[in-house]
Amino acid sequence: MKYFILIVAIGFGVVSCKPKFEEPAMSAGEIDPARFIMIGGAHTSGYADDALYAEGQENSLANLIAGQLEKVGGGSFYQPLISSNSVGVNLNGLSKLILGYKTDCENVTSLSPVRLAAGGDLSIWSDNLYNANFHFGNYGVPGLKVSDAFTANYAAQNNYFNRMKSAVSASVMEDAMAQNPTFFSLFLGLDDVMAYAKAGGKGQTLPTVAEFQADYTAVVEALISSGAKGVLATIPDVTKMPYFTTIPYNGLSLTEADESNLQLLNNVYNPLGYFFDYGNNPFMMVDSTANDFSVRQLLPGEYLLLSLPLDSVKCNQVGVLYPFRDEFVLTLQEVNLLRSRIASYNQVIVNLSNQFGLALVRTDEFIGSLSDGFVSNGVSMSSKFVSGGAYSLDGIHLNARGNAVLANEFIKAINSKYKARIPAVNATAASANFFP
Amino acid sequence: MLKLLLALSGFIFSQVLFSQGFQVNFQGQKQQGMGCAGTALFQDGASLFYNPGSAGFSNENSVNVAMTGVLANVLYVDSATGQGYRTNSPIGTPFSAYGLFQSKKEARLKYGIAVYTPFGSTVQYEDDWIGRFALTRLELKAIFIQPTLSFRFNDYVSIGGGPILTTGNVNLQKDIPVQFADGSYAHVELSGKAMGYGFNAGIHAKLSEQLALGLTYRSQVNMNLNNGYATFTVPSSLEPNFPSGKFTSSLPLPSVTTVGLAFTPSEKFAAVLDINHVGWKAYDTLAFDYEQNTASLADTKSARNYKDIFAFRGGFSYRVMEEMDVRLGGGYGFSPVQNGYVTPETPDKNRAYYTFGWTFRFGEQFSMDVSVYYTQIKRGDRNLETNLAGTFTTKAIAPGFSLVYKW
Repeated sequence: MKYFILIVAIGFGVVSCKPKFEEPAMSAGEIDPARFIMIGGAHTSGYADDALYAEGQENSLANLIAGQLEKVGGGSFYQPLISSNSVGVNLNGLSKLILGYKTDCENVTSLSPVRLAAGGDLSIWSDNLYNANFHFGNYGVPGLKVSDAFTANYAAQNNYFNRMKSAVSASVMEDAMAQNPTFFSLFLGLDDVMAYAKAGGKGQTLPTVAEFQADYTAVVEALISSGAKGVLATIPDVTKMPYFTTIPYNGLSLTEADESNLQLLNNVYNPLGYFFDYGNNPFMMVDSTANDFSVRQLLPGEYLLLSLPLDSVKCNQVGVLYPFRDEFVLTLQEVNLLRSRIASYNQVIVNLSNQFGLALVRTDEFIGSLSDGFVSNGVSMSSKFVSGGAYSLDGIHLNARGNAVLANEFIKAINSKYKARIPAVNATAASANFFP
Repeated sequence: MLKLLLALSGFIFSQVLFSQGFQVNFQGQKQQGMGCAGTALFQDGASLFYNPGSAGFSNENSVNVAMTGVLANVLYVDSATGQGYRTNSPIGTPFSAYGLFQSKKEARLKYGIAVYTPFGSTVQYEDDWIGRFALTRLELKAIFIQPTLSFRFNDYVSIGGGPILTTGNVNLQKDIPVQFADGSYAHVELSGKAMGYGFNAGIHAKLSEQLALGLTYRSQVNMNLNNGYATFTVPSSLEPNFPSGKFTSSLPLPSVTTVGLAFTPSEKFAAVLDINHVGWKAYDTLAFDYEQNTASLADTKSARNYKDIFAFRGGFSYRVMEEMDVRLGGGYGFSPVQNGYVTPETPDKNRAYYTFGWTFRFGEQFSMDVSVYYTQIKRGDRNLETNLAGTFTTKAIAPGFSLVYKW
C-alpha cells in the first residue's frame, strides 16, 4: 500500500498537472501610445440606443481601443462621462432606448425598443467636464461633420461638445491638438453621410468630394504635424444598417382577410398604373416627379427608414392610401448619390493613408461583412435589427459587442501597419441588447 | 414588423476529452502499465476487453475490479486577446470489473463478464470563458456490459467474443449569446440517456513458446439518444423562441481493430505491441433534432469530419521478485480531429503518452496492480463553425489501481 501512496505522490508532485500560462508577448511596435486621441462622430463617442449615456461611453469605440493601447504603454484615457445612473439624452431630449413591451394600434403587445424614461436627462447639457489635468482622449462628438472640425465656437452649435470644450471659442481640433497626441485614430465623415441618410435625403446636402478632400486633409495634416502616427477609418455604406434595412420596400402584406382593402387600393391606384395583389406589395410614397398626383410605388433598392410612424402604417393606411413622405424614404436617386459619395470620400481617405503612411481600417468592409453575418467565438452577429447582436436599439450605432468587434479591426490595422502586438478586445465579454 | 429572430449557432455535442476517442484503453491496470497494450498477452480478466480470445488460455477463476483517476487540465489561450482560460473539471473515475470463470480446471471453454466505462469524464470550463457559447460543461458517462465466451481449440489457438450492451448519460451545457435584463446570459442544458449495441471478438494465437499474435475487432456502437431533453433558460420575452422540450441525437463510438504481438522470452519478462485502427470516419456529423422547432431553434447539423486513425502502443513487464512485477510503456496515437474541427470537448492532437505500473502479489490468490499514465498535448486551431481560434494545452495524469482475486 505504501508503494501505491508513493506512486500517487509522484503523480501529483513531480509532474505538475496544470499547463503553464504564458503571458502573451505585447508591444507597441512603431507607435508611441502615450497620448492617444480619437476623433469622430457619434459612432466614436459611445452614442448608442439613440442617446449618449454612461455605459455606451464606457464601451465606446475610442475607449475600447484606448483600453488595449494601455496594455502596451498607453496613458490614461478620459471621456466626458455622464453619470452612470443617468437615463441618457439625445438632441431631441429623449432618453435611451431599452427593449420593452409596446402595445400597438391593433392592441397587439410585442417586444419593441421603448424609451427608458419619459424624458432624457437634460441636466447633462449644463455640465462642463473640461479639466486641464485630465485630458480628454475621446473627441468623438455626436454630429461632428468633417467641415466642423476646425469651426470656432463649435460648442454653440453642438451640445455634446459644449460638455467638454476648453473654452467658448474652442474648435474640436483645437482642443484635440492641445492634448499633444502621440497617436490618433480618425473616424470622421460618417456623421456627414448619416445626417443625409437619416433625413431621407431631405433638406440635407452631402459635401462635395472637393470639400470633403480639403476638410479631411486639413484634419489629417494637423494630426500628423507633430509627428504622431495614426489610423484612418473609411466610411461604411450606411444603407446596410438596420435603420434602413428592417422595413422592406415591399413590406405591405395583403392576405385574404384584406380583400376589401385590396379592392380599394386597386380602385384608387389602378388608374395611375399601380396594381396590388395578395402577398407582398410595395408601399406608396410621395414623389413630385412621378405623375400628376405625385405618388408612386416604392422600387426595389429603395429604403424605408425606421423613423416611420409604424402605428399609422398598421392602422391608418399610411404608406398605402396616404403615401409616405419623402423624408421616410431613401429613393434610388438618393441611394446612388449617397453610395457614390461614400466611395469617393473613401478614395480620399485611402489615398491619404498611403500618402502619409498611416494605418487604414476598412469600416465599409466591416459593416458589409456584418450585413452578410459572421460567427465569432461561437457568437453569431449580423445586421438584423435587435436580434443581430451587433447594433444597439437605434439600428445605427453599434452596441458594446459590436464596438468591441470593430475596435479589433482598428487594432488589427494598427498591428499590421506598425508591427505592433496589441491584444484584441474580448468581444464575448461585451454586452449586446438586454431582453426583458 | 419588429419580430425577433434569434439565430442560434449549432449545438455541439461530442465525446470526452481524453479521447482519441473512447479508445482511452483504461480498462486494465496491467495493460495500462504497459502502454495500454496487451492484445496478444493474457494477464487477467481485463483480457475480456483487450482480447476476448485470449481468455481461453487462462486457467483460473478470477475477479478483478479496477479504478483509474483521470486528472486532466486544459488551458485555452485565445489567439486574438492572448487571454488564458482553464478547465476545472472534476476527477474522472473510469472503472472496470471483470469476472472470468471455468467449469473445471483446464476447461477449454471460459465464461466471462466484463463491465467497463470507456467514458467517464466531465469537462467543465471556468466561468465566463471566451468559448462559453460553444461549451461550458460536458458530462458523459457510458457503461459497457460485455458477457463473453472464450474457447481454446488447442494449445495454439483460442477465440472469444461477446455482445456489448451500452447505456449512458449525456449532459451538455453552454451559454447562449442572449442577455437577460441584468446582463447575465441565457443558457441551455441538453441531457438524456443513450443506448447502444455492439460486439467484441478476438483471436489469440501462440506462434511459438515465446511469440504470440492477437487480433481483435470491437464493433462500432451507435449511441442513440432518443429521449433527450433540452432545457432553455432564456429571458421571458424569448421563451416562445426557445421552447424547452425533447430532442434526439446520436453519437457513433467507432470500431477498433487491433493487431497485437507479445514476446515472452522468459518467465520474468514480457513485451507487447498493439496497433489499433480506429474507425473514426463514422463521426462525420453531429445532428440535433428538436421536437419543436421555431424560427430561432432549428435542427442543427455540425460537420465533424473525423478521419480513421492508427495508434501504436507498447510496453514491458519484468518480474523483479516473486511478489512484484514492474511495468513500463508508452504509445503514440494520431488524432482523428482534422484542422478546423477542434472543439472545446476534443482539443485533441497526435499524442505521445507514457505509462508505468507495478503488480504486488500477496500470496497465491490475491494481488494488486497500480499504474500511472501521463500525457501532454497542445493543439492550435480555428474552428470553422464557431471561429473559436486559439490553442488548447492539455495535461493529463491518470493513476489507477486494481484488486485481483483468483482461485
